[in-house]
Amino acid sequence: MSERAEVPENHAAGRSAIQASQNLIAGLALIAIAAIALGASADLGEGRFYAVGPGLLPRAVATLIGLIGLALTAGSLIRKGDALGRWGLRGPLFLFLSVAAFALSIRTVGLALAGPVAVLVSGAASPETRPKELIVFALVVTALSICLFRYLLHLPIPILIIPNVLVL
Amino acid sequence: MHDLLANLALGFSTALTLPNLGLAFIGCLVGTLIGVLPGIGPIATITMLLPITFNFDPVGALIMLAGIYYGAQYGGSTTAILVNIPGEVTAIVTTLDGHQMARQGRAGVALGIAAIGSFFAGCVSTLVIAALARPLVKLAQLFGPAEYFALMVMGLAFAVVLASGSVPKALAMILFGLLLSAVGTDLETGVERLTFGIPALTSGIDFAVLAMGVIGFSEVLKNLEAPEQRSAAKQPIGRLLPGREDLERSAGPILRGTLLGTVLGILPGNGAVLAPYASYTLEKKLAKDPRRFGKGAIEGVAGPESANNAGAQSSFIPLLTLGIPPNAVMALMVGAMTIHGIVPGPLVMTKNANLFWGMIASMWIGNLMLLVINLPLVGMWVKLLDVPYRLMYPAILVFSCIGIYSVNNSPSDVVLTGVFALIGYALLKLGFETAPLLLGFVLGRLMEENLRRALLISRGRLATFVERPVSAGLLVVALIVLVAAVLPAVRRGRAEVFTE
Amino acid sequence: MMKRLLMLATLCAFQAQAAYPERPITLIVPFAAGGPTDVVARIVGDNMSRTLGEQIVVENVTGAGGTTGTSRAAQATPDGYTIMMGHMGTHGAAPAVYPNLKYDPVKDFLPIGLAAGTPILIVARKNLPPKDLKEFITYAKANSEKLNEAQAGVGSVSFTTCSLLNSILGIKPTRVPYQGTGPALNDLVGGQVDYMCDQIVNLTPQIQAGSIKAYGIATEKRSPALPDVPTTKEGGLPEFQVSAWNALFAPKGTPGEVVTKLNGALGKALDDESTRKRLLDLGADLPDKAGRSPEALQKLVASEIERWGKVLKGQGAGK
Repeated sequence: MSERAEVPENHAAGRSAIQASQNLIAGLALIAIAAIALGASADLGEGRFYAVGPGLLPRAVATLIGLIGLALTAGSLIRKGDALGRWGLRGPLFLFLSVAAFALSIRTVGLALAGPVAVLVSGAASPETRPKELIVFALVVTALSICLFRYLLHLPIPILIIPNVLVL
Repeated sequence: MHDLLANLALGFSTALTLPNLGLAFIGCLVGTLIGVLPGIGPIATITMLLPITFNFDPVGALIMLAGIYYGAQYGGSTTAILVNIPGEVTAIVTTLDGHQMARQGRAGVALGIAAIGSFFAGCVSTLVIAALARPLVKLAQLFGPAEYFALMVMGLAFAVVLASGSVPKALAMILFGLLLSAVGTDLETGVERLTFGIPALTSGIDFAVLAMGVIGFSEVLKNLEAPEQRSAAKQPIGRLLPGREDLERSAGPILRGTLLGTVLGILPGNGAVLAPYASYTLEKKLAKDPRRFGKGAIEGVAGPESANNAGAQSSFIPLLTLGIPPNAVMALMVGAMTIHGIVPGPLVMTKNANLFWGMIASMWIGNLMLLVINLPLVGMWVKLLDVPYRLMYPAILVFSCIGIYSVNNSPSDVVLTGVFALIGYALLKLGFETAPLLLGFVLGRLMEENLRRALLISRGRLATFVERPVSAGLLVVALIVLVAAVLPAVRRGRAEVFTE
Repeated sequence: MMKRLLMLATLCAFQAQAAYPERPITLIVPFAAGGPTDVVARIVGDNMSRTLGEQIVVENVTGAGGTTGTSRAAQATPDGYTIMMGHMGTHGAAPAVYPNLKYDPVKDFLPIGLAAGTPILIVARKNLPPKDLKEFITYAKANSEKLNEAQAGVGSVSFTTCSLLNSILGIKPTRVPYQGTGPALNDLVGGQVDYMCDQIVNLTPQIQAGSIKAYGIATEKRSPALPDVPTTKEGGLPEFQVSAWNALFAPKGTPGEVVTKLNGALGKALDDESTRKRLLDLGADLPDKAGRSPEALQKLVASEIERWGKVLKGQGAGK
C-alpha cells in the first residue's frame, strides 16, 4: 500500500496502488451512503421479533451496503478495474437548474412561463444548442403541452398566474 | 363451457354497440398517449377523466377507463425503446434490451414485437379472466403475509440474476433500493424514517419520481456527454416489423411472459409490477446464450412486454370478482364504479352480468384496437429518432416535468426527480446498474411490510415462514435461484466479477 | 384622490364577491381518488357545480393520513376558489395522532357544512367463533392477546375507530397495519386477520356476499343498505357510536358571503333527489337541516377533537 505519491494522469493500472479508481470511489460512495443511513436511523427502535421496529430494515440494509462498500474499496486496491471516467459539470448542473426552475415556477406563475424557462435553461446544458432555434422551440413545446395536458387530458395544471389579477 | 359461451355472447353484444366501441377506442388512444408521455400515468389520467364519465352509462364509462389503463402498457414501451426512457414504470425492463435494439437499427422490430406480444398476452389473459376468474382468486387468497414475504425474497433473488454486470455492485444497488423504499412514514408506528426533516419526503418516494430521475433524466445526461454514441443509433432502419426469425425467437418468451403476468397481476399489493422483471430474469436464465441479454436480445423485449400487459389485465380479476382492488388503478375503478352506482363486490358477476362480461369482451376488442393503432405508428415513431438531440432533450425534459408534477400536483416531486437525476448520473459513472435499484425499491416496501405483518400475526415466531407450505416452497426456490446465480460467478473467478 | 381610489377598490372587491364564482373552484380531497371521501366529494361537487354555475374540480393530494392535503388547503389563498373535503380524521383525530401537525383544524379553517357521513361497522372474518356482538364482546375480552385487528394505517378511519372500540372493550389486540382498506379487507376475507372497524361503503358488498360477517353498525338505527346488521345499541355496546363524517371547509379568511353561498349550494345538493339517492345507496347518512349549518359543523369539530384526544392519547404516531 505504498507508492500513493505517484498518481499518473492516465491509467491507474500497474502504476499506483489504486488499480480500479472507479471501484474505489464506488466503494467509498457506498460506505458514505451506509454511514448516512445509519446516522439517520439511529433513533429508530429495532423492536423485538414479535413487533419488529422501524429501525431494523434500514440499519440492516445500511450495514450490508457498508460491507459491500468496504469490499469494493479493498478490491480496488488489489484487482484491476476501470478507471474513473471524466465527469461533466455543465450537463448535470443545467439539467438540475432547469428542473428546479420548473418546480419553482409551475405553481407561482404557471406553465406558460415555466415551460419556456425550463427549456431555455436546459438548453445551456448542451454545447450544441442554437439559441434562436431554441426560443422558438420553447414556445412551440409549451403551447403543445398546454393543449395536451390541460385541454386534452384535463389535468389541473396552472397555465398562467399573475398574482391578484389572473389565474388560468 | 356452455355457460362461458353464453356469457361471452352477452359480453360481446354489450361491447360491440357503437357508443361502447367509440369509448373503448378513445380510452385506448388516450392510454397509448399517456403511456408514451413519460411521468404521467394511468392514475392521474383516470382521475382527471372521471368527471367526464359521469354522463355516460356505467359500462361505457368503465370500458373507457379500462382502455386507458391497459392502453398505457402499450404506449410505455415506445419511449423505452426509442429513447431509453420508460413512459410507464412497467416499461423499465423494456429499456434494457429494447433500446439496444434501437441502437442497432432494429427499433421497428422492437416496437413491433412489443405490440404483438402485448396483443397476444391481452387475448390470452382475457380468456383466462373469462374462464378462470373464480379459481384464480381463490389461489390469491392462499397468499397471506408470510407467502408474500417469501415471494418478495424470491423476487430479490431474481434481481441478482437481472444484473448483467458485477454481482456485488448489483447487490449494492438492490440494497440501496431497499433503503430508499424505507424513506417516509413507517406504516406500523407512524414515525418518520430517513426523511431528514424534509416535508416532501414524509410520504415516501414515489416510484415514478425515482424511475424518471434515475433512468430517464440520467439517460439525458449520458447522451449530452457523448454525442458520438448517439449517431450510432441512426443506422439505416432495416425492417420496420419483426421478421420470421424474430417471431420464432419471441414465441416462447411471449407465452411464458403471459403466464407470469396473469398470475402475478392477481396478487394484491401490486404484484403486476413484478411481472416484467420476473419475465426478463426467466428468459435470461432459459436462454442458451444469456450474455446476449442487455445487448439487444429480442426475448428481453417480447417476454416483459407480454408480462406487463397480461398483468394489467389480470389485475381486473380481484376487482371484478371480489370487489377488492389489487393496486391503485383498480382502487380508482372501484371509485368509478361506486360513483356510477355499481358497488363492486363478489355479486357483480351475477347482478351486473352485462358489466362483467361486457368489460371482458371489450378488453379483447381494446387489445385489437391497440394493435391496429400501434403497429402503423411504428413508422412514425422511428422517424422521431431523426429529430436532433439538442431539441429532443428539452422536450423530453419539459414533458417529464409536467408528467411528474401531475402525479401528485407537487412541485417538490419534480425537484426530487432532479436530485435523483444527479444520483443516477453518479451511479452510472461509478459503474452501477439502475435496474436492480428499481427492483429493490419496489420489492423493499412490499417485503418489509409483509415481514413485519407476518411476524405480528405469528407473534414473533420466525418458524411461520417455513411452517406454511406455500411460503416454504417459495423460499426454497429463492435459495436455489440465488445459489445458481452466484455460483458460476464465483467459479469464473473473482477477476471477472469485479471487472466490468 | 386616495378616497376615490379606495372607494373604487371597495366597489371592485364587492363586485368580485357578488359575482362569485367566476371561474372553476378547486376542491382538495386529501385522499386517494376512488376512496369513500373522494366519492362523496365528487357526487356532492357534481351537483354543486350546477348550482354555482362553475365547475368544481377535485384535486387529490394524498399523504400522511390526509394531513398533507389538509395542510395544502390551509395555506391556500382564501379567495373562495380553494376549498377542501375534510373528515373525522383530518379535522377530528389528527391533533391527537400527529404530534407535529402543520395545521390547526379550528384556527386555520372556516367550516362550510357537513356533507355526508359513513357509518362504521364492526366486521370479522367469517370463521371467527362469536356469532353476534354479545358473543364477540365476551370472546374479545377473554382472548384479547390472540386477536389480530386489521387497520389501514395510523391516522386512518379504521385505526381511529377501532382505537375507540378497543378502549371501550378494554382490550389490547395486536394491531396489524395495511396500506389502505383494500389490502386490509383482502386479508380479512382471506382469514389472515380477525376483525376490523371500517366505513360501510367499503364493506357492504363483502357482507352481502357473505365473505365477511358484520357484528354491528355504530349508529342509532339500522342502515337500509344492510337491514340485517343490528346496531351496536341492540348488540349491547351502546357506547360505540361513531360515524366517519365528511365536511367542506374553507381556509381561514375566506369571505363570509362566499362561505354562505357554498353552504347554500351544499344544502341544495343534499336535497337533490338523485344526489341523495347516490349517497344513500352507498350507505351514507345525510345530515338533517339543523346539522347542515357552519355553526353545527364548528361544534362537531370541537367535540370530535376533544373526544379523539381522549381516546387516542398515547396511541398515535411516534408511539
